[in-house]
Amino acid sequence: MSSESSKKRKPKVIRSDGAPSEGKRNRSDTEQEGKYYSEEAEVDLRDPGRDYELYKYTCQELQRLMAEIQDLKSRGGKDVAVEIEDRRIQSCVHFMTLKKLNRLAHIRLKKGRDQTHEAKQKVDAYHLQLQNLLYEVMHLQKEITKCLEFKSKHEEIDLVSLEEFYKEAPPDISKAEVTMGDPHQQTLARLDWELEQRKRLAEKYRECLSNKEKILKEIEVKKEYLSSLQPRLNSIMQASLPVQEYLFMPFDQAHKQYETARHLPPPLYVLFVQATAYGQACDKMLSVAIEGSVDEAKALFKPPEDSQDDESDSDAEEEQTTKRRRPTLGVQLDDKRKEMLKRHPLSVMLDLKCKDDSVLHLTFYYLMNLNIMTVKAKVTTTTELITPISAGDLLSPDSVLSCLYPGDHGKKTPNPANQYQFDKVGILTLRDYVLDLGHPYLWVQKLGGLHFPKEQPQHTVIADHSLSASHMETTMKLLKTRVQSRLALHKQFASLEHGIVPVTSDCQYLFPAKVVSRLVKWVTIAHEDYMELHFTKDIVEAGLAEDTNLYYMALVERGTAKLQAAVVLNPGYSSIPPVFQLCLNWKGEKTSSNDDNIRAMESEVNVCYKELCGPRPSHQLLTNQLQRLCVLLDVYLETESHDDSVEGPKEFPQEKMCLRLFRGPSRMKPFKYNHPQGFFSHR
Amino acid sequence: MERAVPHAVPLGQVEVFQALQRLHMTIFSQSVSPCGKFLAAGNNYGQIAIFSLSAALSSEAKEESKKPVVTFQAHDGPVYCMASTDRHLLSAGDGEVKAWLWAEILKKGCKELWRRQPPYRTSLEVPEINALLLVPKENALILAGGDCQLHTMDLETGTFTRALRGHTDYVHCLALRERSPEVLSGGEDGAVRLWDLRSAKEVQTIEVYKHEECSRPHNGRWIGCLATDSDWMVCGGGPALTLWHLRSSTPTTVFPMRAPQKHVTFYQDLILSAGQGRCVNQWQLSGELKAQVPGSSPGLLSLSLNQQPAAPECKVLTAAGNSCRVDVFTNLGYRAFSLSF
Repeated sequence: MSSESSKKRKPKVIRSDGAPSEGKRNRSDTEQEGKYYSEEAEVDLRDPGRDYELYKYTCQELQRLMAEIQDLKSRGGKDVAVEIEDRRIQSCVHFMTLKKLNRLAHIRLKKGRDQTHEAKQKVDAYHLQLQNLLYEVMHLQKEITKCLEFKSKHEEIDLVSLEEFYKEAPPDISKAEVTMGDPHQQTLARLDWELEQRKRLAEKYRECLSNKEKILKEIEVKKEYLSSLQPRLNSIMQASLPVQEYLFMPFDQAHKQYETARHLPPPLYVLFVQATAYGQACDKMLSVAIEGSVDEAKALFKPPEDSQDDESDSDAEEEQTTKRRRPTLGVQLDDKRKEMLKRHPLSVMLDLKCKDDSVLHLTFYYLMNLNIMTVKAKVTTTTELITPISAGDLLSPDSVLSCLYPGDHGKKTPNPANQYQFDKVGILTLRDYVLDLGHPYLWVQKLGGLHFPKEQPQHTVIADHSLSASHMETTMKLLKTRVQSRLALHKQFASLEHGIVPVTSDCQYLFPAKVVSRLVKWVTIAHEDYMELHFTKDIVEAGLAEDTNLYYMALVERGTAKLQAAVVLNPGYSSIPPVFQLCLNWKGEKTSSNDDNIRAMESEVNVCYKELCGPRPSHQLLTNQLQRLCVLLDVYLETESHDDSVEGPKEFPQEKMCLRLFRGPSRMKPFKYNHPQGFFSHR
Repeated sequence: MERAVPHAVPLGQVEVFQALQRLHMTIFSQSVSPCGKFLAAGNNYGQIAIFSLSAALSSEAKEESKKPVVTFQAHDGPVYCMASTDRHLLSAGDGEVKAWLWAEILKKGCKELWRRQPPYRTSLEVPEINALLLVPKENALILAGGDCQLHTMDLETGTFTRALRGHTDYVHCLALRERSPEVLSGGEDGAVRLWDLRSAKEVQTIEVYKHEECSRPHNGRWIGCLATDSDWMVCGGGPALTLWHLRSSTPTTVFPMRAPQKHVTFYQDLILSAGQGRCVNQWQLSGELKAQVPGSSPGLLSLSLNQQPAAPECKVLTAAGNSCRVDVFTNLGYRAFSLSF
């Protein structure tokens, strides 16, 4: 309680205490400045160590006094009370000292704390400053690095090289004196120059654009003009039609053909173009036409929507039919086959007119899925031909063009890829269908520009004009020769069947005037029959008797002698000669295997055929050979040496003039006829 | 049933013509080279083909070894006969005899060394030369053929020394009788005539067709082939193949062969003959047929035995005739293979 009141009055109360502590007396010095009491100031002046001693002394004194009091109280007495009072007053003073010391301690503590607090605050402030500065430093460093890394856009621009720059730039931009030394200025100058140039070029570009616009406009105008011309030209063409007809120049007709030709598939188109070109350039007797339905051709390329409608209809129909009757596998296969062998609706027709006014009509078809072309042939003559029995095959559409080139029999498909397609639908070979579809000869493919290499099948064989052009002339010539030779043979066969060998007057010199042996029979025989004959084995072994050849049997007779001649006629007649094999029945059977002279006769007709060809185009070969055969038989029979043991005259007196009857180790007869002297000699 | 046709290649005009030529080829003559390794064959088109026997007989022989090493056009007409000296090949046919060097003959474009034509009497037709005979002792060549004479030619000078006349029809064949020396000739007139070379006279005549044992009138009287072995002679042709004893001019053995024979030769103790018909016939001297070996040609015209000492491995019998093939018999029992033009 007393400590509290002293604390309250501390700052205002001036106390002058008879305190034992010397420190208190010192404090009066400090009163001079103000008339208040500051204990804080006093704290600064006192020494904390002495205060501590004072505190210890005071506590001791207190303890002593208390102890004395205690003693006195325990003794009791009258003067004790004054002593106790005295001691009580002393202890109160000591208590007062203790309180003051306590206050001083508190003040010191507070001061100490305040000081620490201040210092701490300062430190904190410095610390913050440091942080701020460090942060700024970092920031600045970053900025510096950024600045250093900064790539100016100007470095991305490809500037002209230095030398060029100094050469080209005008001096007010290049400012050589300044820029040479200072790279910064130099770059600036270069950038300036770059800008200059770009501006100029942009100008130019604008100009060019405007030019282009102008020209485009002009083109538009001209196009309009031209398109307006087209209907006028059409009208002129229409007007000129009567003139064309009058002058026999059917341009319009040709034009229509070209229109149709546009719908032809590529091989037919190649054929059409090449054949027309050839016809115009070399051969006036060739005419080309396109047949078939253009609408169907167009329909092949119709867009699928239309066909889908059809399909749905047909599907509905099919469903109906399937409910009634399931189509058999065979019928389905048949349909697939028909689909595979389908022809393009358009076909090209070639008419080759020969000198004697007979015409060979060729119709070329294109099988779309197989990518091959086929041809059908027909020969028509001005007069009706009466076909002799043996000439049945000569002009038949099936065989008239067989083997136009050696080995080209037209019974197999030339496209090796077709075999895989055939396997899918069960077609063995095209041979079964050729009558219907036409023959796929190799020359037909060549005329259409299709080339199938033998080694490996190609994926797509496209029609090639040059291939067609290179084969056109030869093929046309061969075709004409073929037709003419067949027609000639046709006529000759008619005569041969009547037993007359028709020798033309310009071939008469090959034979003597009198020929006694006669041809009595001329018939066709089948290939198998020919192979079965006993005297034809050599020909068969030599590979000259193919199934594409035609076979005939001729019979020449004189008296009792009968000579059978089996003839192989190659389709390539007359460049390839017919081959004869003989069998003579006279005094025994004589063939080339047992009689050297029969062999010599065969040689005369087979090997020496070139003499018998006659004037070009040598259609007389076969008849000349037959006539020679008759002459040879005459010679053979007449020169046969007389057998002395047999009685009677020779059956055939010698009428031929011969120098010698026999010659050489094989005792050959004189088979060679010499013209014009008319005698026979040996080769 | 159809016979399989071997050729699949389409035949154009040229191939057909070549096939026909080969079908109608006849090989008339053969001759072996002095070294024994090559065989020359002449055909009716005038070509001579040289085959290499050593290549064809070797163990690595292929198909090409059976083809000629070289073929050339020797004459315009058929090559009817050939003979070989130790350096030359002599070939004769239509009226001329030509000589070729064996050393040069394998090269392409070989030209004849020389050619000679005997003096003929007729000029209307050039007669053929059917037989050539070499007389080594006198270094002479004897030719005979269509003009019915035998001409002797000196090989050294090339001149024609003598002409032996006597045949009434053309001469088919010649044979040499070494000891005398005498030449035998057989002709179309049916006679075999013996000529003495030194006196150039006809010494003996045998008219074969007049002897009943061997004459066959339906074949004719012509003598197609001759061979002689000192006192003995075998001849054939129209009449049957007969063995004759020359001094007595009597036929001792008649060989029972119906077909006319075109070539006959003595070999060791056998007689080999060939002619119409496929076979090479081997006869014993007694007249028995020892063997008949078929060849590949329907008729044979010439046989050749390669007995050259220089090439014993090529000791073969070759036969040729009415085909383009030469059959090679390595041992007389069977046909080993055929060479072909």
